[in-house]
Amino acid sequence: MMTRDHSAIEELLSVEVLGGLDDRDREALYREMAEHGLECAECHRLQGEYREVAGRLAFALEPAPVREGLEEETVQLARTQGEAVRTRPVRGGRAGMWLARGRHRRASILRPVVAAAAAVVLFFAGWAARDLITGGGPSFDFANARVVTFQGETGNLAVAYRPGQTGAYVFGSNLQAPPSDRVYEVWMFQDGTPVRGACFRPEPGGTLLTYLDANLETSQQMAVTVESPSCPSAPTTQPILTADLT
Amino acid sequence: MGSALLFEERFAERDRGDPMAAVDRELVRAIGRGNEEAFRGLFRRYAPSAMAVALRVVGQPYLAEEAVQEGFLALWRNPSAYEEMRGSVKAWLMATVHNRAVDLVRREETQRRRAEDAQPDEDVVTLEDPADKVVDEIGLPEERKAVRAALEDLPPEQRQVIELMYFDGLSQTRVAERLSLPLGTVKSRTLLGMRKLRAALSGIER
Repeated sequence: MMTRDHSAIEELLSVEVLGGLDDRDREALYREMAEHGLECAECHRLQGEYREVAGRLAFALEPAPVREGLEEETVQLARTQGEAVRTRPVRGGRAGMWLARGRHRRASILRPVVAAAAAVVLFFAGWAARDLITGGGPSFDFANARVVTFQGETGNLAVAYRPGQTGAYVFGSNLQAPPSDRVYEVWMFQDGTPVRGACFRPEPGGTLLTYLDANLETSQQMAVTVESPSCPSAPTTQPILTADLT
Repeated sequence: MGSALLFEERFAERDRGDPMAAVDRELVRAIGRGNEEAFRGLFRRYAPSAMAVALRVVGQPYLAEEAVQEGFLALWRNPSAYEEMRGSVKAWLMATVHNRAVDLVRREETQRRRAEDAQPDEDVVTLEDPADKVVDEIGLPEERKAVRAALEDLPPEQRQVIELMYFDGLSQTRVAERLSLPLGTVKSRTLLGMRKLRAALSGIER
């Protein structure tokens, strides 16, 4: 059995777990791990062991006093959020600013996933991605894909696409669930105009892998908003995640 | 599958030195059933450690509290995000809070500049301050001793890059700039240091 080289993955992982990777390096890590595929036991081992080390580094510090009342406030927040509300509230103020600029485009189709992209979910969400793979779906040359990560507090989200070609995969991990009566909607911005991408809810556990039937080369930014299940053709709330494609 | 099993067995082996590890896992399971007392139990045990690392990274108590709250609430909202076979609860919690803290400090560029100005390059790990002494929970003093010993055993140049990334929230690029080192040198020092930490910490009882 041929042994794959894990030196690049190990080097990137050792920095990732310390919080030291820039976006570009993180994308390189996604690509490397995706190329190794779902069943890469060595990748799992390296990731688990380095994460454990990084987590335990916190104990090098003396414990710090916790403000009296913080526990109660945290418990109250937990009660407030409950099971149904697992997303941070969308900050108001300019909600609806995009309303007048919306332009309808056919919604993307939620399709089964490809193994390479699922591998990213597996590695970064700690999930059994095989559970997500339902077969079929368009093939995807992940090795030559551009991977862009979203910025935001709702979890980890990235999009992989091949410049000049139609089709992209949006994948995420540790995504907070939207309220039970809401969905997430992903948008592509073309010269400042939001174009509808896809509506989705993360899987239980916060993972996501969805196909986007679009050519992202004409888009400069992407964003995710919390919307009604009707999936409006223009965003009605402020973005909770954004990505710069330029 | 064989590899996954070995991985799980390895963590089970480590747990034998830390009876609290099994308690922690049971608390997470109880949180999954919506048990608020279990949530409080983990908070009381690990919030002081979480606060220490968050405060170190973000430098501001209110931001540190936000990171700690977000970390613990992430567990409440989604306890299945913690997977037993992938490591200990305490490491998972600390990593979650640390990630939140790094996210916060990356967004708060002014906060980061302030933290950099305030932090020395050397001896980054803060040692005990008697004025703010917090009573540690069972098992954690031994953990602190072990982790500090592992850090102190590192060559200074490896320890320095790891501490700047982890405790000061700097990216490897910023570390390279700050130390006037080629990025490749920072990468190699980090990797070598983390390999040594991994070896040292996997051999100790938790």
